[in-house]
Parts: sequence; structure tokens; C-alpha cells
Amino acid sequence: MADATLTWPKNYNEVPKAAFTRSDLYLEEIKRIFHGPEWHPVAHESELPNPGDFRTIRLAGIPLLISRDEGGEVRVFYNACSHRSNQLETAVMGNKTEFECPYHRWLFSAKGELVGCPNPREFVPGFDKADYPLGQPRFDLFYGLIFVTFSAETEPLDQFLGEAGETLRELMAGDGRLKLLGYQKVRYDSNWKGYNDNDGYHAPLLHAAFKMLNWQGGKGRQYTATKRGHVCFESALSVASGPSVLKDKDLIAFKGQDPSVGSRIVQLFPTFVSTKHLDVINLRFATPIDAETTEVHYAYFAHQNDDADMLRHRLRQSSNLLGPCGLISMEDASIFHRIHIGSHTPGNAIFQKGVRDPAKLESEFSQNDESGNLPRWEYYRSVMGFERAQA
Amino acid sequence: MMLSPTKLEGALDRLLLADANALDSKDMTGWLTNYAEEEQASYYCRAAENTEHNLELGFMFDDCRARLEDRVIYVTEIWAGTFQDYRTRHFVQRVSHRQVDASTAEAMSNFSVFMTPMDTGVTQILAAGRYLDMVRLSGDGRAKFLSRRAELDTSVLPRYLVYPI
Repeated sequence: MADATLTWPKNYNEVPKAAFTRSDLYLEEIKRIFHGPEWHPVAHESELPNPGDFRTIRLAGIPLLISRDEGGEVRVFYNACSHRSNQLETAVMGNKTEFECPYHRWLFSAKGELVGCPNPREFVPGFDKADYPLGQPRFDLFYGLIFVTFSAETEPLDQFLGEAGETLRELMAGDGRLKLLGYQKVRYDSNWKGYNDNDGYHAPLLHAAFKMLNWQGGKGRQYTATKRGHVCFESALSVASGPSVLKDKDLIAFKGQDPSVGSRIVQLFPTFVSTKHLDVINLRFATPIDAETTEVHYAYFAHQNDDADMLRHRLRQSSNLLGPCGLISMEDASIFHRIHIGSHTPGNAIFQKGVRDPAKLESEFSQNDESGNLPRWEYYRSVMGFERAQA
Repeated sequence: MMLSPTKLEGALDRLLLADANALDSKDMTGWLTNYAEEEQASYYCRAAENTEHNLELGFMFDDCRARLEDRVIYVTEIWAGTFQDYRTRHFVQRVSHRQVDASTAEAMSNFSVFMTPMDTGVTQILAAGRYLDMVRLSGDGRAKFLSRRAELDTSVLPRYLVYPI
């Protein structure tokens, strides 16, 4: 089959709606992007704090097993037996120092070594257990955030992150010493790009809560980093002022130490979104399920130094403020669905706010500009090999 | 005073059904009246997966009466007009209960919730799970939730939630 093609509009602020809906493009995206030379965050190591802790996930269909061995080292494996590729671990999380495949009783250590298999004398002559460890993708850690890539070509992680790394470090409490509070998991009826276009981006007009709570956005900047157009927002803390319609004021209170890092968003190509808002630290691990569905695991964190009061505050704020039922973000979730439905119409989505010149790409934006998405779209276009129409 | 088994079952079932009816009618004020007028009245909606791993975070964490009252405001005022509305039907089945003392009972029920988005008209399952309820009994045989925990088997929701489960 020939590569999927799509003619791209000449203006940088226009995106063909077909990019959100064509299933042939989706298959090509899986190959070129999700299985290609990109880094994908899959977990934070604080999600497996103790020796023997493990987690399993599927990233663009690929089953992964993330484990911490007895010595404390974190590794990422394919969650498939090295014999016939039977799914090795079925639990989403747990604690084990050995993983046994029930099919032929092959036994693996948390380091991924094949430590036992019954009746090897009946195997291919010369069979050696040392040749059959669990397979591994490339992985690397950034302040505890675990990234994987399925390509040998991907550049080192720090180059992939570029300037976004510093904002991401600040977002993860400055040192990445996090403590897991729990998960909110949801599937959205949206193409992964529709999710990504609308999750990090601020649409203040959408959120009635801001108006009703007299909540003005803090001063800040939006910028994009690297050729991939990772989007970062940095803004000072803003706290709702004036009379509130809410009886529980703690939902929107800031009890942290440093107001200068009140609000951060880092959105990495292709699907990762993370945010620190008030005292909520939220990493969103997203994966496409198919061309019309994206699964997002919202993981929430405290800091390891938090006292009991702060821990309680973060728990109460994290549960109700953001996420698929959060006070100030439930409407975002509904937009993911509605954008996806609306994208099944002809023509292009045309970005307006913050676009000063449709023939130019920029990398600095105002906080509520939608144009911050455009460098990422240009990278997507180039990775997919779509030709831009001539001016 | 301990209630007779029949009276206790009647009081609990009337409360379970009143809550299902309020939710399916999108009657948030009615939903609130099913909760005891005590400061510690609470509602939690959380994936059982979190609970089983000692992770307290939930989809909804309304640990005091003030938060229950705020949730009514979220749905009826703050979010009004921003979401794709959907109908729900709650099916609730009490599976165990006991009276703890004269004014308190606990009950566990299974639930399944169907949802039908207004725009598609296609009915799906929204969630399945268990309610773990602590119930305040009053002298006249009426019951209100002191605490309701909706523990969802559904660890991955099929959509965002507007209404409590």
C-alpha cells in the first residue's frame, strides 16, 4: 500500500480536519510517531516506590511492564514472555520480585532475567536461559519521569525535551521527589490529536468557573520548545478573589511555599500533558486506542516532604479540581468529544487567537493564544511527509 | 432503639431508591436531601483499583457537607450548558447491611449505571461497582446517608462525569 497522503494548506494556522478522522492516517501515525523516533512518558517512578513494585500499561497497543527490582532499580520491559510472547503480568499494579508465565512456567526476575524454565533438555539443542531475558524498549528517566522509545534513532532524552525540561522539572516540584495520590482514568471519544490540541491549551471563555469565582489568570508566558513544538506555560499563581459561590474555599486555595511556580503546563509531543496548578501536581499519560478513542490516565501526586495537612489538602484539591469530572476541567473533556465530532466535516480547522501572520511560525505566545499548537502541527506534518500547498 | 429487620430494610431501600431516582431525574437538590444534615456528611466516587492500593484519590471527593452543597452548584450553575448531556439509569441492589447502633446502620449495594447521551441516543454502560454506605437513622424510621462511597469496578470511565454516580 502506498503511504497515506494528505495535502496540507499553505497557511500555518490551518489544519485539515481529515487529519483527525482518517483511519489510514492513523495506522501511519502509529508507525511513524508512536513506534517511531519519539520519547513517550509512561509512568513516574514514584508510582512504584518500593522494591518489587510494578505497573503494566499499553502504549499504542504495546504492552509494557515497569518494575523496580529488590535493589531499587527501575526498568521497563515488554510485558510478554520471551518464549511465545504470552502476556506475562495481568495486574495493573502490584508487588512481585518474580514474574511467572503460566503457559510454560518460564520464570523471570524483576531484572528481567529468565531464571527458570521446566524441561529445557527438550528445547532446541544449545538452549541457554541467558539468551532469553525479557525484551526491553529503550527507556530513560528525567527527575523520575520514565520515558520509553521504540526506535534506536531517537535522540537522547535531554535533547528531545530541550527547554521544556526546565519547566517540567519545576512542574514536578523542582526535584521529582513525588508521592502518588492516585488515578483518574478515562477514555475520550476523540482522536489523540484532538485531545492534545485542547488539553493543555487554555480556553478561558469555556470555563464559567473562572468568572463565577472572580478568578483571573496570573501573568505568564506560553512558549514552544524544540522542533516538535512541545508547549509550555509558565504563570505566577493566581487565586480567586472576591465573593465565592463555593462553600469549601480550600478547593481553590494555595497552601504551597512558592507562588512563583503557581502554575505550569508542559505538553510534550505526541500525547503527554502535565500540569501543576495551585497545589495539584498532575501527570497525564495518554495513549491512542484507535483513530477515534484516546485513553488518559490522570496520575496525581504530592511531594515526599509534605506534612499530613498538606498531603490531605492535595488529595482534596486534586480529586475535585482537575480531571474528567473536575470543577475547572470537566468542560475540556466535553470539548474533546465535540471537536472530534465536528471534525468529520470538510475543510480545515483554522486557528485564530494569537496568529499574527499565517505565513510564519513563532515560538513565544501569550497565555491564552491557540497559536501555541501550530509548531507541533508543523512537526506532525513533516513527520507524516505531507506536502504543504504552495503559496 | 434497634429497628426491626423489616423496618430497617424498608428504611435502607427507600433511601437507595430515592438516591437513584434523584440522580436519574438530574434533581441535584433532591440528591442533596438524601444526605444527613451533619457537617461530616460525605460522598466519594472512586475507582476500586485506587482503594485496593491504598490510594485515596477519587473522581469525586466530597468529604464534608459544604462540598456536597458545592457539587449541586457545579452541576446546576457552573457547568450548565458546557457539556453533552446524558440520561442515566441506576440499578441498585442491596447485598448486605447491619445496624451499628440506635442511630447508625451500614449497607453495601451493587450498582450498574446505564447512560444514554442525548446527542447519540446510543445506550452504554457508564459504570458498575458497589456502594458502601454509612446511614443515619432517625427516630421516625427515616434514613439519610452519613457517608456514601461509590467504589467503581470501572477503573477506566467511558466518558467524563457530570453527575455523581
